Amino acid sequence: MKRIVLTMIALGLPLVFGGPAMARHSGPYVGVFLGGSALLDARSTDSQGDFRLAFDPGLLGSAVAGWDFEPGNPVGEGRIELEYTHRGNSLDKVTFVDGGFKGDGSLSADSLLLNMFGVFRDGRSWAPYAGIGIGAARMEASGLKVTGQPLGSGTSVVFAYQVGTGIDVALTDMLSIDLGYRFLGTSRPKFTEANGQSFSIGYFSHSAVLGLRLGF
Amino acid sequence: MMKLALSGLLLVLMVSGCGWNGTPSRHNDFTPLTSITIVAVSSTIAAHTSTTLKVTGNYSGLFTRDITEQAVWSCAAPAVASFVTPSAPNRVTGLAPGSATLTATVGTVSNTFTLTVSSATVTAMTITPAAPTIPKGLTSQFTVSGTFSDATTQDLTFDASWTSSDAAVATVSDVAGSKGLAQAVSVGSATISAAFGGSSASSLMTVSEAVLQSIAVSPAAPTVLSLSSRSFQATGSYSDGSTADITARVAWSSSRSDIAAIASSGTATTLVQGTTSISATLNGVSGATSLTVTGGNLTGIRLTPALPRLIKGTAGRMTATGTFSNGTTRDVSGVVGWTVSDAAVVTVSLPGGNLVWLKALAATPAAVPATITATSGALTTTASLTVADPLLQTLAISPTSLELTAGASDRFTVTASYSDGTTQNVTASADWTSNDTTIASVGTVDLDRGRVSSLAAGSATISAQYGGLTVTAPVTARTRTLLGVTITGSASVLSGNQAAYTATAQYYDGTTKDVTENAVWSVDNGNVAVLADRQHQPGQVVAVAAGTATLTASFGGMTQTATITVP
Repeated sequence: MKRIVLTMIALGLPLVFGGPAMARHSGPYVGVFLGGSALLDARSTDSQGDFRLAFDPGLLGSAVAGWDFEPGNPVGEGRIELEYTHRGNSLDKVTFVDGGFKGDGSLSADSLLLNMFGVFRDGRSWAPYAGIGIGAARMEASGLKVTGQPLGSGTSVVFAYQVGTGIDVALTDMLSIDLGYRFLGTSRPKFTEANGQSFSIGYFSHSAVLGLRLGF
Repeated sequence: MMKLALSGLLLVLMVSGCGWNGTPSRHNDFTPLTSITIVAVSSTIAAHTSTTLKVTGNYSGLFTRDITEQAVWSCAAPAVASFVTPSAPNRVTGLAPGSATLTATVGTVSNTFTLTVSSATVTAMTITPAAPTIPKGLTSQFTVSGTFSDATTQDLTFDASWTSSDAAVATVSDVAGSKGLAQAVSVGSATISAAFGGSSASSLMTVSEAVLQSIAVSPAAPTVLSLSSRSFQATGSYSDGSTADITARVAWSSSRSDIAAIASSGTATTLVQGTTSISATLNGVSGATSLTVTGGNLTGIRLTPALPRLIKGTAGRMTATGTFSNGTTRDVSGVVGWTVSDAAVVTVSLPGGNLVWLKALAATPAAVPATITATSGALTTTASLTVADPLLQTLAISPTSLELTAGASDRFTVTASYSDGTTQNVTASADWTSNDTTIASVGTVDLDRGRVSSLAAGSATISAQYGGLTVTAPVTARTRTLLGVTITGSASVLSGNQAAYTATAQYYDGTTKDVTENAVWSVDNGNVAVLADRQHQPGQVVAVAAGTATLTASFGGMTQTATITVP
C-alpha cells in the first residue's frame, strides 16, 4: 500500500506545476494510467454453499486510445475511448462456516472496455468528468490456496462494466493529467476447485488512477 | 453526453456497497482432517442399554468440527457391544458384560474408544415430567432414567418400551428416533409408562383443551379511503389444528389512532392518510396487519343545497361533499356528524350509506332560519334551512305515464304547488300505491318512493297521495328480450375521487333502457376501488389507491364488466 501511495504522489507532482490550459484539444489521443485497485469482499459459490474471499489491494496499469469530441458538437462535451487495464490482487483471507483462514494466490483481471465520458468544462484549466464503459475481462485465478492447501485456479472471460469519474488537468494543448476513480464490475467468473468442482466469485473493484493523456 | 455523465455519477454512488457481507454457508474441506476424538455420554453402560458417541474432527490444528454423521463405526468385540440402530449409527448397545474397543473412521483418519458393559441391573426408574398437563394437539417429550444395582444412573429413554393406557387421549412413540414423545390427542387423562428390564415407571398425562397459538387478522394489508370504515376479522389457530373466529373476543388496537381508530367490534374508522398496524390480542397471543389509508385528508365540506327550503311536513335530501388534500372530492354524507339548531323545527335522519334526510317539522320564524351543521374533526360547515307552511293547492305527477320493460324500473316525481306560489318536490313525502302489484310495484321507503318496477306485461295505475290530494298515472309494462348490457363511465379515476357509471340494457327490438338502478354492481378489488353506496348510489365508485379493478354490472341474467384504472 505504501508503494502505491508513493507512486501516486510522484505522478501527481506535475499537477503542482500545471499551468493554465491552452485551447481545448479535440481529436485522437492516447494515454497511460497507473493506480491501485481494491477488490470488494467476494461471495464465492460452489455446490456446497457460499464462502467469502478477501483480497489485498493491488496495482493496476492501463493504456487508452480515444477521441476528444470537438467543443460545441451535438453529442456534447466529452470523449470516447478504448481502454485496456490489468489489475492484480492477492488473496488475503478465506472465510467459511468454520471461520476465517489465511489465503494465498492471486486474482487478476485484464479488461478491454469501451468508455464514454462527459466532461464539464467551464473555461478553467481543469475539468471534472464522469462516464461509463462496457466490455469484457479475462479473469485469471492463480494458485489460490487456503491454509496452504490448494483451493482453485483457472481462467474465465466475462462481461465487464465500469463507471468512472475524475478530473482532467490540462498541462498544454495536447497533454493533460487525469486523476480518476474507477469502479469495475463483472459477471461472475467461474474457476475450478482443487477437488474438480466449479466455483464462481463476484468481482467488484474500486480503483484510483493517475494518468497522462497525449493528443495528436 | 451530460446525462450520460450524470448517470455515471449516480451509478458510482449506488454500486459502492456491492461487497458481500453475508454469512458463509460452506464448510472448509480444503484444510485436511488430521485427527478425531470420540466422546460418549457414558463410557460404562449396563448390558442391554445403549449410549451415543460423538466424533469431533481436528483440521490441522486450525479448527474443529462435529463430524459424527460422517463417521463409520465398528466394534472389535461384537458379542459385547454393537451398533444395531440403523437410524442412529452412532448409538452403541451393550449386549453382554465386558470391554469393547469401538472404532470411528472418517476418511483416512480414525480413532478408538473403549466401552465397558457392566452386569448391573436396573433397580428403579424415574419418569419425567411427572403428571404434566398438555394442551390438545401439542406434544411432550418424556424421559426415563434408571438407577442400577451398581449405584449408577443411566438415561433409558431410548432403551425402554413406551406405552399409553389410552391412545384415544394420548399416544406415546415407541419407535427409535422418537421414543417417549407423547402426543395429546383429546381431552382426558392417560398413563404414560416406560418399562425396562422388569422395572417400570409411569406418569399421568392430562390433556387439556387446545390452546390458542396464533391469530390471523384479515383482510390482510387492506387499503382504505380516509373517512371510511373497514371491518376486520380475527381467526385463531389452536394447538389441535382447529381454527375459530375470535373477532368478538380479542382486544383490538391501532398503533396510530390518529390515522385510524378501531372499535371493540373490529371495525376500523379511518381518519387521515397514512399507515397503521391493526392488532388483535387474546391470552397473550397477537396477530396484526397493516392498514393503509389513502384518498387525502379532509380539508373542506360543502353542503348541498346550501340554502335548503322545505315545506312543513316534507322531507328533503342533504348531501355533504368533502374536499380532500389530494384535490379530490367525494360524498361524505354518511361519515360526517350532523346536528340541527332546533330539533323542534327539523330533524336529521341517516337511514344508511350516504343518504341524509331533513324532516321539516315546524315553520321557521321569519328571517330566522334553522341551522344544519355538518362536522368532521375540526371542520364544520353549516346550511341555513327555511321551513314554510303555505297551503297546499295542487299536486302534479311527472311523467304523466310510463312505459316500462319487465325487469326494469323508472321513476315518477310528484310536485306540490302552494298558496305562496312556491312548489316543492314531495316525492319522498308522498304515499305511493299500485292498483296491481302483479304488473307493477312502487317503492314506499326513502329513495325508493316513486320508483316503479315492472314485474309482468300489462297495465297498472300508480297513485301518489300527499296532503289530502291524490294524483295518478298509468303504467304500461311490456316484455322485451334482453340483448346485452353496456357500462359507460370513466376508465381512469384519481384516488379519492367519486365517479358515476351507467348500465344500459339493449333489447332485441332496438330499444335501450338505463338500468343503473336495477343492476347489481360489484368491484373485484377493494384496495383499488369500492362502491360509494351500494344501496343509495348505484353505479357510483370511489377510487382508493393505484391499480386496476374490474367493475361488474349484472342485469337480467347478463353481465358486463369495465376496467377502472387508478393512476
